[in-house]
Amino acid sequence: MSAQSVTKPEPAPRWWQDDLLHDFLRSPVALTAALLTVAIVAIAVGADVVAPYDSNDPASANLIDARLPPGSIGLIGNRYLLGTDPLGRDMLSAIIFGLRTSLMVGAASVLLAAAIGITLGLICGYFRGLLDTIVMRIADLQLSFPAILIALLIDGVTRTVVDRGTHDRLAIPVLIAAIAASYWVQYARTVRGLVLVERGKEYVLAARVTGVSPLRIIATHIQPNVMGPVFVVATINMSLAILTEATLSFLGVGVPPTKPSLGSLVRIGNEFLFSGDWWISIFPGAMLVVLCLAVNLLGDWLRDALNPKLSDG
Amino acid sequence: MGTFIVQRISQTLFVVLGAALASFALLRYVGDPVNNMVGQAASLAERDAMRRALGLDDPVILQFFHFLRDVAVGDLGISYSFGVPVVRLLWERLPATVELSVCAMLVATLLGVPLGVWTALHRRSVLSHVLLVVSLIGVALPTFLIGIVFILIFSVWLGWLPSFGRGATVAIGQSWTTGLLTVSGLKALVLPSLTLGLFQMTLIMRLVRAEMLEVLRTDYIKFARARGLPSATINYDHALRNTLIPVVTVVGLQFGNIFAFSIIVEAVFQWPGLGLLVIQSIQFADVPLLASYLVLIAFGFALINLAVDLIYAAIDPRVRADMTISRAVS
Repeated sequence: MSAQSVTKPEPAPRWWQDDLLHDFLRSPVALTAALLTVAIVAIAVGADVVAPYDSNDPASANLIDARLPPGSIGLIGNRYLLGTDPLGRDMLSAIIFGLRTSLMVGAASVLLAAAIGITLGLICGYFRGLLDTIVMRIADLQLSFPAILIALLIDGVTRTVVDRGTHDRLAIPVLIAAIAASYWVQYARTVRGLVLVERGKEYVLAARVTGVSPLRIIATHIQPNVMGPVFVVATINMSLAILTEATLSFLGVGVPPTKPSLGSLVRIGNEFLFSGDWWISIFPGAMLVVLCLAVNLLGDWLRDALNPKLSDG
Repeated sequence: MGTFIVQRISQTLFVVLGAALASFALLRYVGDPVNNMVGQAASLAERDAMRRALGLDDPVILQFFHFLRDVAVGDLGISYSFGVPVVRLLWERLPATVELSVCAMLVATLLGVPLGVWTALHRRSVLSHVLLVVSLIGVALPTFLIGIVFILIFSVWLGWLPSFGRGATVAIGQSWTTGLLTVSGLKALVLPSLTLGLFQMTLIMRLVRAEMLEVLRTDYIKFARARGLPSATINYDHALRNTLIPVVTVVGLQFGNIFAFSIIVEAVFQWPGLGLLVIQSIQFADVPLLASYLVLIAFGFALINLAVDLIYAAIDPRVRADMTISRAVS
């Protein structure tokens, strides 16, 4: 393997240098998806400024205005563009704040999953050995179960174990950990596969010969070269993570009901569906779909543009 | 092949043992089992006696073996929230989930395969473009939202179909209840199985379309056309048959997913199956129920995966070779 790579030196262009930007600007789908994503993230980040009312403020709930249809004007003259929820809170504001929670949980779990997966992938790919066998076997096993089931069970078991009192405070960290634990495998397998290729290359050999420590080789030499595909996996997983959060919150085992997230809003609305109050669940649901669609299209485009080998399986 | 089977079976055992260990730990260390069984008034001496009687003084390893023995004979404890033996509860709920899952898979296959064939044969028609776009959006739609939209349209606005429960059920034999034999049961089944099957349907449709397009390009199809065979014979007899092999595999593998997503669908439609039960067990911190569900689901999945792998390897010799190669490489 090493002899072969000596005869074939590769200039290895950085992933962002090869026409990626050009490609991006020429693709209307990617541009639209990116603009949409950026806009949604901006709205979520600036929720305090953008939202008409502060959903986290109990004073924003006017029980007298409960379950008003979209576009109505409340008793004290409040305008509710998307209607109100059963507590008389403005749906638009609740969706904007819910968006923030959903994006935060999604991003945090993607980062955590990536951190675990990349670290394990690098170590396993470089050192091989017993640890590699064990980790990859666990990864294989985990892949034979649907991720949503794993997230649900980890979340459920942890909630059962955790004391009731600390429950609501810990709900979000537990949720993030559960989602991360169900999605780390893809990163680990992707990175490991790439490391297996990289470790035989000349520059790694050169570093090793000059006495650079293995951990340093992994961290400063190999790691930057395997990140491209990781971004693709992360983008696609972002929408999966958001969907998982929404699903678990909808089932009532995710974000605590006091904190709006897209999933918990749909859950609240579900109880009033039969009164004909469709806007309470449909608007947050539509927001969720738009968000996931935008992130998905972005991920698909990125995958096609980079065209990496996404996984070794 | 021999080593392959042994490896797979040992892996299965490993999974089941792992899940059993997790559920044992849950039962043993979450809360005090004695506290959960005796009343407030029990004295310390009584508690100690109870502890000894339950074997909680034994070494942990021994307790674990006792637990395994109990599981093997179907003694899974008593549910905190329902107050009845867990086994009976699980057994009562199993038929609902099985019927829902099987119907969803049927919906997905019976709609997905014809649609896939049609979009492959009429590649340029407007309708197949529409179908493909709709299937793309369908992938982005979360299952619970599909269910809610269905309920809104078909139950609330149109009032055609019921939105919760199983309708009237009929008992078959000792313990199996079915909703397939009554009108209300069948009506109740429509929306949940459509919701659950929709994602799989789009998957199967796109798979069949891709495979079909691939097969239609091969030489033997061209040769059949050159021979002047009627195009129906070529499309359905020659092409479709070869398309269906991967479809069978995917349908088998998707059963696990169907089962997982049935939890969500059951929650949306208040379908009295295992999924609804596990959500309740989490919300009420019903440890015996949750622990038993863990063991059951690990066992079920391990069994399904094992069966799919073995059948697959038995059908297709290339897979066998592939698996040994990938094992040697990794």
